[in-house]
Amino acid sequence: MDALKLGLRKTVNDDAELLQRIRAGATGEFAELVQRHQQRVFGILHRYERDAQRVEDLAQETFLKAWRALEQFDGRAPFEHWLSRIAVRTALDHLRREKRRRNEIALPDLGEDALDWLRRADEEGELSARDAAEILHRALRRLPPADRVVITMQELEGRSVKEIAAAIGASRIAVRVRAVRARAKLKRALERLSDT
Amino acid sequence: MNENKMNQLFAAARNQTAPLPSAGFAADVSRAVRREAPLPPALFSTCDQLDFWFPRLALAAVAVIVLCVAADFGLTAAGLPEVGDGAAQASAQFLFNADDL
Repeated sequence: MDALKLGLRKTVNDDAELLQRIRAGATGEFAELVQRHQQRVFGILHRYERDAQRVEDLAQETFLKAWRALEQFDGRAPFEHWLSRIAVRTALDHLRREKRRRNEIALPDLGEDALDWLRRADEEGELSARDAAEILHRALRRLPPADRVVITMQELEGRSVKEIAAAIGASRIAVRVRAVRARAKLKRALERLSDT
Repeated sequence: MNENKMNQLFAAARNQTAPLPSAGFAADVSRAVRREAPLPPALFSTCDQLDFWFPRLALAAVAVIVLCVAADFGLTAAGLPEVGDGAAQASAQFLFNADDL
């Protein structure tokens, strides 16, 4: 545990030093910062977008936004938390854009295993991570973008209400209320999906 | 769809792995960053300057007024001529001396 804390502190310090150099004009070192955090950013964005190429585009957009806003990073929170918030907001913008053209995007049919699991009344049977993600992706598409972000952050990433509130720019009470409503909407969406 | 089944779905979906960034991803981002025009130096319009200075100037003015009023009261209480009298006397003596006109 101490080693973990020590590691996190070291990364934070390393980030701070690297950011200091970048701000001083060593823009070439931004690539090092990208390499350090790209996996985390891809992980966040992949929860909202299944297409790998689009995930990469969104990741690039995230890092560019971070670059433009670098002067605003005050160092009070670790850099990775700040960057994660930018990634979530980029995902939210993407979902809003996607919502407007949702009907234009056709998805391939769900696999047989996924449909079987979905239609079964009990919780028996194995469900692969890929099928689970595919089912959730389809059901979540029917929810408003902000609901989708709240559900994803809370249920899939295990984020606290405080973190979600900071990421989407809402109060903690609003997040709690939205989470309950979003879960109910998701339940209905999953039921509709199993009827198809 | 009961709660347990939903939780099972979430648990399974948590294990999905994200795609790996392409080999040149960091370099691509760096190139895009270099293409970005440098941010223009901040320009301060007169309105911005007034906006910046307004609360400070207002507080300074209030402080000066309070000091003057306090000094006036203090001088009156000490039996000395008031600030206004002193100023009028100085003005009459050095600036607008009636004998010179």
